Amino acid sequence: MMAKSRVAVSCLLFSHPMRIPARNVFPMRHWCILFALALVAATPPLANADTQQVDFERDIRPILFANCVGCHGSDQDEREGELSLDRADDALSDADRRIIVPGKPDESDLMVRITTDDEDELMPPPDSKKKLSAEEIELLRIWIKQGATWPEHWAYRPPERHPVPIVEDSEWSPRWIDRFILARLENEGLRPSPDTDPVTLVRRLHFDLIGLPPTPEQIDHFIADAAGRVSNEPSTTGDAGNPVADLPQFERAYERLVDRLLASKHYGERMAIYWLDLVRYADTVGYHGDQDQSISPYRDYVIESFNDNISFDRFTREQLAGDLLPGSSNDQRIATGYNRLLQTSHEGGVQAKEYLAIYAADRLRNLSSVWMAASLGCCQCHNHKYDPFTMKDFYSLIAFFADVDEDRHFSNGGNSLPTRRDPEAKLLTKTERARIAQLEAQVAETEKELLRLKKEPGADTAELKKKFDRWSHLLKEARSGARLTMITKAIQPRQIRVLPRGNWLDDSGPIVQPAVPEFFAGLDITDRQPTRLDLANWLTDQSNGIGGLTARVFVNRFWYLLLGNGIVPMLDDFGKQGELPTHRELLDNLAVEFIESRWDVKHMMKLIAMSRTYRQSSLEPASLHLRDPYNRLVARQSRFRFPAETVRDNALVISGLLVTEQGGTSVRPYQPAGYYRHLNFPKRTYQHDVDQRQWRRGVYVHWQRQFLHPMLKAFDAPTREECVARRPQSNTPLAALALLNDPSFVEAARVFAERILCDGGESTDARLAFAFRHAVSRVPDARENDLLSKLLASSRKRYESDTKAAGELISTGQAPRAENVDPIELAAWTTVARAILNMNQTITRN
Amino acid sequence: MLTPDDLSRHVNRRTFLSGMGVGLGSVALSSLLARDLPAAASGEDTTAKIGLPGLPHFAPKAKRVIFLCMAGGPSHLETFDYKPALAKSDGKPMPASFTKGQPIAQLQGKELKCLGPMTKFKKYGANGQEISDFLPWHAKMADDICIIRSMVTDQINHDPAHTFMNTGSATSGRPSMGSWINYGLGNESEDLPGFVVMTSVGGRNPQPIASRQWSAGFLPSRFQGVEFNSSGDPVHYVRNPRGVSREQQRELVDTIKQLNRHRNESVGNSEIDTRIASYEMAFRMQASVPELMDVSNEPAKVMEMYGAKPGDGSYASNCLLARRLAERDVRFIHLYHRGWDHHGGLVQYMNTCCGLTDKPTWALITDLKQRGMLDDTLVIWGGEFGRTPMFQGKGGAGRDHHIKGFSMWMAGGGIKGGMTFGATDDFGYNAAEDVVNIRDLHATMLHLLGIDYSKFNVKFLGLDLGLTGVLPCRVLESILA
Repeated sequence: MMAKSRVAVSCLLFSHPMRIPARNVFPMRHWCILFALALVAATPPLANADTQQVDFERDIRPILFANCVGCHGSDQDEREGELSLDRADDALSDADRRIIVPGKPDESDLMVRITTDDEDELMPPPDSKKKLSAEEIELLRIWIKQGATWPEHWAYRPPERHPVPIVEDSEWSPRWIDRFILARLENEGLRPSPDTDPVTLVRRLHFDLIGLPPTPEQIDHFIADAAGRVSNEPSTTGDAGNPVADLPQFERAYERLVDRLLASKHYGERMAIYWLDLVRYADTVGYHGDQDQSISPYRDYVIESFNDNISFDRFTREQLAGDLLPGSSNDQRIATGYNRLLQTSHEGGVQAKEYLAIYAADRLRNLSSVWMAASLGCCQCHNHKYDPFTMKDFYSLIAFFADVDEDRHFSNGGNSLPTRRDPEAKLLTKTERARIAQLEAQVAETEKELLRLKKEPGADTAELKKKFDRWSHLLKEARSGARLTMITKAIQPRQIRVLPRGNWLDDSGPIVQPAVPEFFAGLDITDRQPTRLDLANWLTDQSNGIGGLTARVFVNRFWYLLLGNGIVPMLDDFGKQGELPTHRELLDNLAVEFIESRWDVKHMMKLIAMSRTYRQSSLEPASLHLRDPYNRLVARQSRFRFPAETVRDNALVISGLLVTEQGGTSVRPYQPAGYYRHLNFPKRTYQHDVDQRQWRRGVYVHWQRQFLHPMLKAFDAPTREECVARRPQSNTPLAALALLNDPSFVEAARVFAERILCDGGESTDARLAFAFRHAVSRVPDARENDLLSKLLASSRKRYESDTKAAGELISTGQAPRAENVDPIELAAWTTVARAILNMNQTITRN
Repeated sequence: MLTPDDLSRHVNRRTFLSGMGVGLGSVALSSLLARDLPAAASGEDTTAKIGLPGLPHFAPKAKRVIFLCMAGGPSHLETFDYKPALAKSDGKPMPASFTKGQPIAQLQGKELKCLGPMTKFKKYGANGQEISDFLPWHAKMADDICIIRSMVTDQINHDPAHTFMNTGSATSGRPSMGSWINYGLGNESEDLPGFVVMTSVGGRNPQPIASRQWSAGFLPSRFQGVEFNSSGDPVHYVRNPRGVSREQQRELVDTIKQLNRHRNESVGNSEIDTRIASYEMAFRMQASVPELMDVSNEPAKVMEMYGAKPGDGSYASNCLLARRLAERDVRFIHLYHRGWDHHGGLVQYMNTCCGLTDKPTWALITDLKQRGMLDDTLVIWGGEFGRTPMFQGKGGAGRDHHIKGFSMWMAGGGIKGGMTFGATDDFGYNAAEDVVNIRDLHATMLHLLGIDYSKFNVKFLGLDLGLTGVLPCRVLESILA
């Protein structure tokens, strides 16, 4: 087995360096610098320094950041010795001080200071408790010797399209995404995993693109289609990088499936779950009394926008500045609800001035996390220690939002449900308008028909008249159904000052005008005050803004949604203290593709979903686990438990309970009694929905920030107080209790059992096969069959002897019960259904 | 086959992980949150029993914490901080030198007048600690508690002030102290969560308490606080569905376990092992939680000592449950008693609140002491802030929120009892001697648990963030036993 070398450092100490292929020089080390440093000492010296290029970002910046930048940072006010070691210009350009002299480590003051024996001169100072290791010192020496190249931080360089790498195995895939992944794997001496089986692939794609499981019929259809047994529907697009005609049958069937799912109205709901986490969408104000607020049309806007695939730059513009667009439409006004999603307090005794400062900072934290993956929140009180942002930048960005009318609730936003957060408007969403248009057409047509029939003597118009009345009624209802929603309205801008140390009581800071961070050029407006619209454009403009960064941030998140990890692991921090991309060039190419596609989200989702990388098996051989436990090299797909909403939706689909109506106000599933008892101003009683809304998708569940539904919480849904780009994935007893005992799941099991009994055939084997096919898209094997048969028999026996208990179990939930089903049999099968719904694989995307 | 490199990588990865959360080796957040990260790779026990390697940093004095949060903000001026000078100025204007440019809550734009202490104080215990007449039972334990009269906080409204007290930051999304401690030290309980929260009934129109207060923030969610309810199911979904017996639930959980195990033979996913363990713990909790809440085997004299009635949801009952939780090795027990927000009618409502909490608190300390548990249990008492020396008249004389000086106390594991630490000025406005901010309180609590606060961090948003944050703080050495 070929030895794989690791590190440039130790080799200097080794007298007979071994020559190895250059591409093997830095395997595995991009993704975790700390990890790599930990390896340094233990790795046998095998390679030659002269053949190796030290990489500043990978090797040097982490040393400087861990040891030097704390004192020699970007913050001018706190910087020691007038020296900054976080920016190239300062460290390299000072010819007099000769801190770093490229090519000449011996003449560089930096090397002198880190190697001196004089404790007064030594850096880092001994009292800092920081100490450079011999290896780190050597790395710095080699780096200076090799010319001390100091590129700009990767995230802030404009992305460029890199040539697709040459791979040894050109058969694996012709797609460029795959070539980048494969090249890296080949470098590491690894192979991609085999393709996953078609059934798993169909399941995966359904969960990833629409967040719902496939039905057994949908699976069968795909298998037949892939085998050429279904007449071909025309593929809507062939733009995934390959001419469709040359692809084999399976490829064409797979592409049709991808297209079908991207065209599904459920796609928008799935994407919305992620977006609503980012922008912290919730149905309540968050602070203190946590009163309801009016905002659900915004959620509908997000779903509609993903479904209509409006370009991402437009999506950005409409949310940040829809009110400033010429002749702004209903949808654009609803979209501006984004600016109002922050938490507000309606507590008696809040000081408006303090809370306006809190709101402004909240908004800036969100804006910078969502679009820039930057932790600008730090600059509320001080200049950023590591990234090129200042307090002035922070408050200048805030000044863009100084025109947002938001202080009226201090006087009129009381303890009502919902509370008032003016400005609000009653607006019809696109879906509602479409329905009205449809009803209008129906009414008009019926009316015409009626008029025609009236002219015909003896014609019976009673039926038609009834129809006309019903539709007219529905139309009237629909027209008056506009919901109140918070919007952004521009007023005379408030004066914005830099708040010294973030202190809102301190008015001594300078007044600032709207401006983008000085570090970034681009917003070149001198003849007028820049607006939110200018800011939105700047965020998505590659040549006159930071569109390249924004594109990187989002393609990284699309990658995460489909592969389970980001190319940059930190989805909301691309700063210098974050982690490096595992595949920098691939990230760049994806970003460029996103921009060149005119910010086409579906195009990007399709591109990734079509890749062979995406289609790999998620199984993890032990050797791969040891090699790459975090799966950063993507030598396999990921497997993970569903997001909370999908855990719910999945059970509802399996049982047949799911109601797929789209949009509207939030819904209230069953919830433990008294859960809101700590809420006050006003006191709250929770009334779960008693109609069809009980079984709607998780994305529509009422989001109470202070007391999020305990099932959603147990499965890691965030409270949406701050931007969440990546939910944690826990595996806790509380989640187990929810899935076992929450009435929503017990009801789903009961209704699933009815379905099994009514439609699953007569024999136990047939019924178990039916149940498994609906829950996990396959039939049970002998062992599974055996285990569940035993559970069934035992449960049946128990309920035969206790019919009262059987009656209790099967009366869980308000879904009507099938009349012709034997209660004991139903209770016994409900137990089986509970077991199936609780299996790990039932809630796992693999 | 494993190459030597694979092995060294593995070994070193573990070495790296062993430094996790302790300063230099702070593990990146993305790794903490990694999807699909097999439990074995996280280097942590999945049931959270074992804490971080290397912790505690030194021998702890306390094994667990009981935090008695008097939510709403009790007046320091009517509990532990006697101000004769304020009494002399009663009714006179509050000197503007104190209040000018200072944050203020409901008294914004109002005329500011002094309000003298509304009760009497006496000296108690060997060292003559000053305690008000509202707290006769506290007087009996003067020698057990260390009163801190120089607390300050940053936040003047309830919600953010609680968040600040619990997480060290007013920004949402940070872990609560109970989560930090369980993350660092692990949960020693076999069948109960390591961080339990209970809120009692009774008191004045209670301020809301958000579940954010026991959130695990950016730490893994298994470290979040679990709320035990006094009515309904003690823990959400801990009760079997109607018509399902415990034996049946056992059989169900067993079948799920076997199905999962069987599946795991073909897919080799250690997440499944964790799932099995979670279901086992869940099933145990279905018995252990009701057992914990069932106080019927407590002797009558104990019930009487606390003044507790089974299932009444009172602070007294929760104090008794806190002792039972402590006995079962629960690491962090957080009780909230609400109703201390006395903008008006202060005397009346102090009588109510002290009537509900004074004796049970004494009973808890006494009970722990009698069982030899006070030595390794740290008890902390206090609100999210104090109250103004200025008068507010919302339905009779009262006081507004105040953050520049207020009182708390600590007792038990490693604390010097019978002493008073710090002082406010003559008006009880500003903490003037030995000022203690919330970070100092946190640092001291961590110290008593054997944790060096400066080495207890997780990398978050590019910072090494710990409970005590990034600003300077100190352990209160002089109150340590």
